[in-house]
Amino acid sequence: MRSEPAVPSNILAAIRAPFAGVGAQAVDAPLLQPLSLLLDLAGETMRQRLFVVQAEGGPEYCLRPDFTVAIARRHLESGAAAGRYSYEGAAFRAVPDSDGAEECLQIGLEVFDPAGPALETEIEIIDLAWRSALAGGRKDLTLWLGDVGLFAAFVDGLDLPPTLTARLKRAAGRPRLLQAELARAGEEGAAPAGGQLAAMLSALPQGQAVALLEETWALAGIEPVGGRGPAEIAERLVRRAGEASAPALTLSQADAVRRFLAISNTPQAALADVRMIASVGDRLAIAFEAWAARLAGLTAAGIPADSMGLATALGHAFDYYDGLTFEVRSEALERAIAVGGRYDSLLARLGGTNDAQAVGCMVRPWRAFSGGEA
Amino acid sequence: MSEPLIIAVPSKGRPKEQVDAWLADCGLEIQAGGGSRGYVAALKGAPGVQLRLLSAGDIADALDAGDVHIGATGEDLLRERRDMQAGIVLLKPLGFARADLVVAVPKSWVDVESMFDLEEVAHDYLARTGRRMRVATKYVAQTRAFFAKNGLADYRITESGGATEGAPAAGAAEFIVDITTTGATLTANGLKVLSDGLILRSQFHLAASLRASWSADQLQAAEAFLRVIEARAVAKTSATLIWPADGGASDAIVEALVAAGASRRPSGLLAPAGEASEAATRLTAAGVGPVSVSRPDFVFDTECKPFDVLKRSISDIGVKTGGF
Repeated sequence: MRSEPAVPSNILAAIRAPFAGVGAQAVDAPLLQPLSLLLDLAGETMRQRLFVVQAEGGPEYCLRPDFTVAIARRHLESGAAAGRYSYEGAAFRAVPDSDGAEECLQIGLEVFDPAGPALETEIEIIDLAWRSALAGGRKDLTLWLGDVGLFAAFVDGLDLPPTLTARLKRAAGRPRLLQAELARAGEEGAAPAGGQLAAMLSALPQGQAVALLEETWALAGIEPVGGRGPAEIAERLVRRAGEASAPALTLSQADAVRRFLAISNTPQAALADVRMIASVGDRLAIAFEAWAARLAGLTAAGIPADSMGLATALGHAFDYYDGLTFEVRSEALERAIAVGGRYDSLLARLGGTNDAQAVGCMVRPWRAFSGGEA
Repeated sequence: MSEPLIIAVPSKGRPKEQVDAWLADCGLEIQAGGGSRGYVAALKGAPGVQLRLLSAGDIADALDAGDVHIGATGEDLLRERRDMQAGIVLLKPLGFARADLVVAVPKSWVDVESMFDLEEVAHDYLARTGRRMRVATKYVAQTRAFFAKNGLADYRITESGGATEGAPAAGAAEFIVDITTTGATLTANGLKVLSDGLILRSQFHLAASLRASWSADQLQAAEAFLRVIEARAVAKTSATLIWPADGGASDAIVEALVAAGASRRPSGLLAPAGEASEAATRLTAAGVGPVSVSRPDFVFDTECKPFDVLKRSISDIGVKTGGF
């Protein structure tokens, strides 16, 4: 396993220092994490980045690729509503076809606070990651801000048919899916409309529609298998038939999406760019307000305006994040020194309540260290 | 005595029958090694060659690892190797053991006909239940690549030990990616193939390892072997036409046929088998005859495509690794 060299202890102490003053409980996470859970949360693409271990006849585990899921579960188990947890330790990611380190040091913070001031917490965490990264000694750092919710808000403003809206939002963070949608623009799609069966089902109340579908299966000799019941299938058949054809974006809508995704600028300028090409509905207006407050807060915290950028393009590494995202980058490095963001829905997926608020950040000391990764 | 060229062939089942029959058809006879080592054999008619008998899956592993030089196995198994192009080069499709690698879903999903539908359903399933749909398969690498290409991300792979097709009925997965020949097993298990769910039309291939160490002797043995099997393959698609000396009556026709791809013989022509009858008819119509058509056993040509591919791939590697 390729490990990072150690960061000199005085530099490491400086990188670690900002995390001491935030009122967090220092915790650890088990080195072995349940593979099944991580893949359920992050998807199949995660598998190739994990070191999988398994005792004979036992379930599969992996070496922890990060601390977030483990700490979130620990928080839920504690039963407390709010909690702040800091961590420092090794994390493991497989990097096939590259010389990159597989074992690396991570320092981070997770804040769970359902009742707390969401924006202030975000500003606090961004500032924490920024100061921690700066302590590594690099002089060429930029703070890149993003917002997973901004794309969804923008799509809402396009006023598309519901399935297309849903599909486009789903394509967020999936470059191939997104490109496919943009490539289809202007086409008269022809969806297989489900034919006679769909037409008949749509005329019936649900109970009878289900019975009809089951009878059709029986006639065709089809044994239903595979976790989707007749109600769900009937409903989807009817829904598809209801749309005359698989709607596609118009050419000008696709163009608007492309221009939106290309926005990458200083934060104020980027938001102005969005305003120019979007029709500002409620959701987008709320997003703009939040951003105005965030940027004011970040400036007040002392982050120089010309060190900040905002980009609308969505990376697909952030499967947990569902709101604000941010990265601290150095011009000298390809990969980010620090990452973070909001991931409220993760707690619900782990069995928590729907009012969860979760924000976190993580710093890689070896990357932050100016004499470190090159 | 220099190291032999190691060729891996299947050790059991239908693949073994088919590969053995193919080699025999090329005039190469497998001579099983004596003694306790039943997995090694010689190949009569191919000097400097040692056969190693392995399962089709192990052959793919061995090529990838560089433990054997050449092997005959399924393309589906070869493409499971992460980054196949870096370690293995395909030399020749062999035309047997054909099967399709497909995405199959329950027949009861009458609302799912394409990858497009599947992506939507998988996403809804995740949003609704918080869990990802499971796909049962042994073909992890090709499944991931195909799904990524089609924008499907909301799924989990469960590796299927035994019968993949039974997984949905057993509740172990929602749908599958598996190899199918007639489709009968899929139907019997209540499954159907998506309209755009064909991942690979697989067949047995002859392949070479780019990670094995190749000596000049081994390359020479490979050339001899490849020339024989290629000669047999070309012969199967060729026919020889012979007719009595005709004082030039056939010259114009022969010119035309040569221009269309046939090649001259001292007293006749070598033509593609499918065109032989037509060519013979043209000749007889011009008063040239009788024209006898026979099938050659072997047609050795100056160039041998599979060997050219091998030579080029090995020397590319040599350029990459030399001098560093």
